[in-house]
Amino acid sequence: MSTQGVMQGVTMAYVKTIGIVNNGDNGRGFANPHDVVVSRDGRIFVLNRCDPARATAIRVGICNLDEEYLGEFGNGFGEGDGQFGLPVAMALGSQERLYVTDEYLHRVSIFNTSDGTFMGKWGVMGSGDGQVNGPAGIAIDDDDNVYIADQNNHRIQKFTTDGQYVSQWGEKGAGSGQFNMPWGLCAAGGHVYVADWRNDRVQKFTGDGTYVAAFGSSGDGDGQFSRPSGVAVDADGNIYVADWGNERIQVLGPDGSFQQRLRGQATLSKWAEAFFAVNPDEQGTREVADLTPSLPPHLETPYQISSQVEPYFWGPASVTVDADNRLYVAETNRHRLQIYQRV
Amino acid sequence: MSNQDFALLAHLMRRAGFGATRDELEAYAAQGYTATVDELLNPGDPEVMPDDLIRRYHVDQSELRQLDGAGANWLYRMVTTRCPLEEKIALFWHGLFATGYSKLNQARALLNQIDMFRRHGLGRFDALLVELSKDPAMLLWLDNTDNHKGAINENYGRELLELFSMGIGNYTEEDIKECSRAFTGWTLGNAEYMAMRASKDSIWPYSRIAWHFQYRDWDHDEGQKTFLGETGNFNGEDIIGIIARQQATARFVSMRLFQFFAADDVDSDGEQVIEAMMQSYFDSGYEIRAALRTLFLSEYFMSEKARYARVKGPVELLVGAIRQAGSYRAPTLGVHQLAYQGFFMGQGLLQPPSVEGWHEGMEWIDSGSLVERVNFVAQELSSLDKPGVRAIIDRLAAENGGVLTPEQLVDQCLDLLGPVAVEDDTRTALVDFAAAGGGALNLSGHQPGDATEQRVSNVLRIIASTREYQLA
Repeated sequence: MSTQGVMQGVTMAYVKTIGIVNNGDNGRGFANPHDVVVSRDGRIFVLNRCDPARATAIRVGICNLDEEYLGEFGNGFGEGDGQFGLPVAMALGSQERLYVTDEYLHRVSIFNTSDGTFMGKWGVMGSGDGQVNGPAGIAIDDDDNVYIADQNNHRIQKFTTDGQYVSQWGEKGAGSGQFNMPWGLCAAGGHVYVADWRNDRVQKFTGDGTYVAAFGSSGDGDGQFSRPSGVAVDADGNIYVADWGNERIQVLGPDGSFQQRLRGQATLSKWAEAFFAVNPDEQGTREVADLTPSLPPHLETPYQISSQVEPYFWGPASVTVDADNRLYVAETNRHRLQIYQRV
Repeated sequence: MSNQDFALLAHLMRRAGFGATRDELEAYAAQGYTATVDELLNPGDPEVMPDDLIRRYHVDQSELRQLDGAGANWLYRMVTTRCPLEEKIALFWHGLFATGYSKLNQARALLNQIDMFRRHGLGRFDALLVELSKDPAMLLWLDNTDNHKGAINENYGRELLELFSMGIGNYTEEDIKECSRAFTGWTLGNAEYMAMRASKDSIWPYSRIAWHFQYRDWDHDEGQKTFLGETGNFNGEDIIGIIARQQATARFVSMRLFQFFAADDVDSDGEQVIEAMMQSYFDSGYEIRAALRTLFLSEYFMSEKARYARVKGPVELLVGAIRQAGSYRAPTLGVHQLAYQGFFMGQGLLQPPSVEGWHEGMEWIDSGSLVERVNFVAQELSSLDKPGVRAIIDRLAAENGGVLTPEQLVDQCLDLLGPVAVEDDTRTALVDFAAAGGGALNLSGHQPGDATEQRVSNVLRIIASTREYQLA
């Protein structure tokens, strides 16, 4: 039965913010978080992309919804096992494995989620079958098929968890089933959703790459996108899109119908509150500050506005949904997660 | 097209831009000198490296929390722009209205200031000064956030007159006070919180919050003020209106433009050009564009006398070499090292040594900076994998069947790297060096990186090391 035209009525309510900027040291806090995934036991894995000039901060951090910092793994910037160049995205597979793509080293690194042990890596740079150029988004379906957004080859490739090539689809272009620098991926309900970044749309495929639908067009209106970077899908098929260039999240129904847009409303995390507890002078001046000011007209792009308005999303690169319909938004430029609940 | 035409356009592009490749020079030559000047002065779409690609690849340049990423971000723009004067004039104002990271701890505010220079840097000087006076980085840099009704802070008022517009000797201490009174209430949004974060270099909890201008009318001194002999209830805009119509301002601005774009030293011929620029400044309603047009079309600027009359600033040198080599055309890991490179040569972008900016001319050169300058340029221009170097080799190989005597090899390389005009002694030494590589060079059938290409690379490397290449 078609659900077309039926309003899903999806509404998201803000829950909380987790995070604080970590200035290059390891330990509690995030450094340009670029992706977030949540394990079945509720652990939140955060990919700290950071940058090579602050090499040691590149790592995966782990916390939980109660804002306890549980640890981290990954060995900073470098080409060695367990190290990263420019890590982009993560996916959880079966057997407690976490897969991390790296667009600089053109590979996938695999870690054990129970203790962070490095388990292996695969990937060869190139444009042939099974070769990758700037692997970005990664998704793993219930059958342990691994899908990779092969960014600079403008295609999706499908692998086994040990990196054996299975199939591919797509090429550079703006037609149905074509891509322009795809970024985020989600595998859900037998489908693969692609944040087709430079085409300003989300495309939906079957697991073998058959085109199903495309949602969105360039712009800042409802249902339009500017460089979407991440996509997540809940158990009911609702689609959550990190509308990166518009600095917002959009929620779509299963048929792609616009439901809601979120601009962000971050509050102080426990870690932030702890900071102000020992810096009362800053807290005092902050309390009388207007953190959502009106701005001069030349600061009118979403990006500029987000740089000025702290509660708003800024660099929302990735979204994920957990089993309880909580939405997690990783904000690269604000070093935090904003969490919403479907109500 | 004569070699003299190319030499003149190359000279213009070294001054109004960051040099030019032979392909670019040919395109400019086809439209002619005056049309090129007018195109430079009226920038269109710069077609710089797209911001989305930069921000996706370089998260540090998306957040712009750190100085190195911010400097690299500007360098990307300088390297890829098709409107080089837009960046060059921004660099000029950055040196004149020097605002630095060290006190602000806010790289984004500095880049926003640079962007303001792009928008207003070729337009009316009075409009530029109003924008400067509202610029968040400047407001904190020169303490106008502490300039209050009944309790003035003179820092901005003083530098506005001394360093930014008229120069010392053209106003009194009383004028400084009255000027400062007029700028009371010109501050930042959330000034107290932002000033505290800046002073503590605090990035917590969620990284830096960018700044914007705010006018607090309740903190503005509404009383009568007497400034440069005029009396009224002046606000900042009124003060700038008075400044802009001063003869001293026209002279100051024209002189600084001349020294940056024409020659480090001003002789009597240069003095005449400056007077003509001043006239253009007034005739046009204080347009910087008009003063510069007068300069670029002056006999003096177009004459041999103005050639190589300036020491390239480190950023000019760095960007010029990169543009010529054709590197950094796409987001590149490690680009932040370029920002450090400028610093090692004595010009760290967004961190001038003081409000007086950099000391230019021969002061760019000391033994340490010279080594950095020569090494960097030699490396860029001798790398056989760089697109710009490959283009030079392709042109050499296409001439005369690819067979070049040592003299031809040197002359062609000098030509394609500029044209660069060198002293006779220098040319002789270059030819001797090229000949030592083994007589005539035959590039027919050359392969990337082979011995013949290596000989070209060596000659390019040596030319990059000459005194003349260090001059603009």
